[in-house]
Amino acid sequence: MQMLSTTKEEKDGYPEKGIMAAPQLSIANLHLNFGGIQALKDVSLEVFDGEIFSIIGPNGAGKTSILNCLSGFYKPQKGKMIFADTDLAPLKPHQRSALGIGRTFQNIELFRNMTVLDNILLGRHLYLKSGVLSGGIYLGKTLKEEAQHRLRVEETIDFLEIEGIRKKLVSEIPYGLQKRVELGRALAAEPKILLLDEPATGMNLEETEDIVRFILDVNEEFGTTIILIEHDLMVIMDISKRIACIDFGIKIAEGTPEEVKSNPRVIEAYLGEES
Amino acid sequence: MEAQNQTIPKLLRKSARKFRDKVALREKDLGIWQNITWDEYYKNVKHFGLGMLALGLKKGDKISILSENNPEWLYADIGSQAVGGIVVGIYPTNVAPQVEYILDHSQSRFVVAGDQEQTDKVLEVKERLPGIKKVIIIDMKGLRRYRDPFLISFEEVLKLGEEGDKKVPKLFERLVDETETEDTALMVYTSGTTGKPKGAMISHRNAIASGVNLVRATPLKADDVIVSYLPLCHIAERSFSVIYPLVVGGITVNFAESIDTIQENIREIAPTIFFAVPRIWEKMHSGHIMRMRDATWLKRIADGWCLKIGMRIYHKKERKQNISVYWKAVHTMAHLCHFYPLQKHFGLNRARILYTGGAPTPPEVTRFFHSIGLKIRDLYGSTECTGICSVHQGEDIKVETVGKLAPGVELRIADDGELIFKSDGVFQGYYRNPEATAEAVKDSWYHSGDVGELTEEGHLKITDRKKDIIITSGGKNISPQEIENEFKASPYIRDAVVIGDGKKYLTALILIEYDNVGKWAEDNRIPYTTFKDLSQKPEVSELVSQITKEVNSNFAQVETIKKFTVLDKELDQDDDELTATQKVRRKIIVQKYRTVIEKMYQ
Repeated sequence: MQMLSTTKEEKDGYPEKGIMAAPQLSIANLHLNFGGIQALKDVSLEVFDGEIFSIIGPNGAGKTSILNCLSGFYKPQKGKMIFADTDLAPLKPHQRSALGIGRTFQNIELFRNMTVLDNILLGRHLYLKSGVLSGGIYLGKTLKEEAQHRLRVEETIDFLEIEGIRKKLVSEIPYGLQKRVELGRALAAEPKILLLDEPATGMNLEETEDIVRFILDVNEEFGTTIILIEHDLMVIMDISKRIACIDFGIKIAEGTPEEVKSNPRVIEAYLGEES
Repeated sequence: MEAQNQTIPKLLRKSARKFRDKVALREKDLGIWQNITWDEYYKNVKHFGLGMLALGLKKGDKISILSENNPEWLYADIGSQAVGGIVVGIYPTNVAPQVEYILDHSQSRFVVAGDQEQTDKVLEVKERLPGIKKVIIIDMKGLRRYRDPFLISFEEVLKLGEEGDKKVPKLFERLVDETETEDTALMVYTSGTTGKPKGAMISHRNAIASGVNLVRATPLKADDVIVSYLPLCHIAERSFSVIYPLVVGGITVNFAESIDTIQENIREIAPTIFFAVPRIWEKMHSGHIMRMRDATWLKRIADGWCLKIGMRIYHKKERKQNISVYWKAVHTMAHLCHFYPLQKHFGLNRARILYTGGAPTPPEVTRFFHSIGLKIRDLYGSTECTGICSVHQGEDIKVETVGKLAPGVELRIADDGELIFKSDGVFQGYYRNPEATAEAVKDSWYHSGDVGELTEEGHLKITDRKKDIIITSGGKNISPQEIENEFKASPYIRDAVVIGDGKKYLTALILIEYDNVGKWAEDNRIPYTTFKDLSQKPEVSELVSQITKEVNSNFAQVETIKKFTVLDKELDQDDDELTATQKVRRKIIVQKYRTVIEKMYQ
């Protein structure tokens, strides 16, 4: 795989890199409210290149809101988001994705009546250069371009081991595989950072193990930074390098899995106040 | 073989020189079939062999391969043999303790692992196996961070070999010249339905002789096409993917994209030579039955008619009767409307020679395929004979038998009915197990442990395994296999184990086919949750009881099943209940379900 060889050098430096370097993504004093509802209040986070960073918290704590701010679905009222030395605020969602921010959704957002292949091919959209006209007559450069993109898509299919469902409609395949296809679409865009919103929700144990393995593989093979939201704490504790806990829109803890696990405020948020 | 002192690497070199740019191997990768020519095949084998030499491989060292089928498996196989290594295949489905046993017993110094999953199994047991020097990994995905000098990628080994080749250009040719026909080429660990696996040592001479015998019995040709999809560590797939293509020279071997796409890939390739184990034929057959149950009434009737026509023609041909012009015309119609599309659906429309082997095939299943025009030939043999003893040859196919002896194979039948074979294919013995070797081979005759007879026409008929013959308390000898096969012909039954040794009557443990019975339950509005729940439904018991009645009607009174129990759990290889080839381990099952069995005799 061509892509593998380019990321390999980055990879080799990985374990030493990290904490000391400048953060790849920094969020500072983020405020988001919908009318009177305060969704996020003064949230600050720093995520470093190549790490797996998880956000946990009870339902409605504002986890997905952070991702939506990052990918541009929500406009925060206050705060700064810097990704790879670029201020995200003025950028539209597609510009952010061109910058290297990819994501998957909590509820699968695939085109159900298109094939797996076409859905993943859509992930290549931002790299398409040929216009409507040349695309329409499908000649020369366009043809070459199509082949290139198809190659990248096939590499993604190979990577996620979904060769068997390549030509199937998304609506025909089981839920667990749909989630994998969505990951595939995000990967096809070759993101530098991947925002995963509850990738293991609704899965059985085997499917969960599969998806976790793929998340780790993505992180290792391509050096992609991962921000993960997940309810399955076993998964989180197992694979995250650092974790932040959000409760009622406020960051109440941040640190390594051990630190977060033993933090009294986290325990309180999850188990309720001691009576 | 006309040339003396032939070996597998020498045969590859010969083919590479003769066929050069012709496609030798094909692998579907990134959605496209990639061609590998004979030249490239040989080059990769050469580089791998020299790479292993650079890693310190010495003559007689064992190399275990633990991987799914892919071209790299073949490069590692022949490459290692060329520089004097002995290759051991391990089932990729084996769990870590089973892998450990084979690595330990075979004293492997190198392991070729397919991917991260397989590598992890080796790493898990590495501490206890100090003899292993290096693990060579084919697919490095997910492993790039492991920075253990113990691990090396397949590509790096090829690179080492390439550099070595530049330094000493003629070295590999010389090493190939030095390979001897009597050298052990490979070791096959027989899964064995009893006890620990035994490592059968097979020489170049054994392998090539069995290839020559098979080709003389059923002529394969240079332009044939094969799909490699069964485990390569089994002697049958090893023969069809590695040995036979080299003995014939020029055959193209195809590798599926992944396990999930095998059926689709077979359809795309449409192989001309196809070998399958009974389980696969059974699945195709029951798949057809289930599909027809869901089809419209018109299709069902048409299917019934066509199969009747097919069966009639098949029976006429079997009895060598003349077929009238009218029936020929009707049959052609049925072929065009139904049989050909069906063959195409199975991916076997170009298949010239089809084999079944590895275990007995239910005759009903074989007849079904014959009636749709797919002439399945029973291939009987064992690892210890390097694959082949007898096979249906020419038009002479009797489904209850396993065909006539292959050329080059001699047979004796012992007083107790045991079949004893002699041929150049008879193996060198079990590795580090002289007692078992002495028991199996006496004066170069191989004692198969199978009981059987020759029919008047000279066809070999296998009754059962010698150990498995049931002697009831009434003193009657019964072959459980025949009864079990009748059960297996039903789409609802996956496996049956007939019991009754030393007992008054016969009973059976029944394993249902989950998918098909599940579908049947849905159609009949029987709600169920899990396999356990479904298997214990009274309706399912009733269904099995019906099937038992049908089976019983084919046998004499003493051979009928009086009681049965439906197992509430699928048999599993990980629980040692099945061999890696999915054969039932009778002893272990009888042990495990002792209380259930006792209940049937109360």
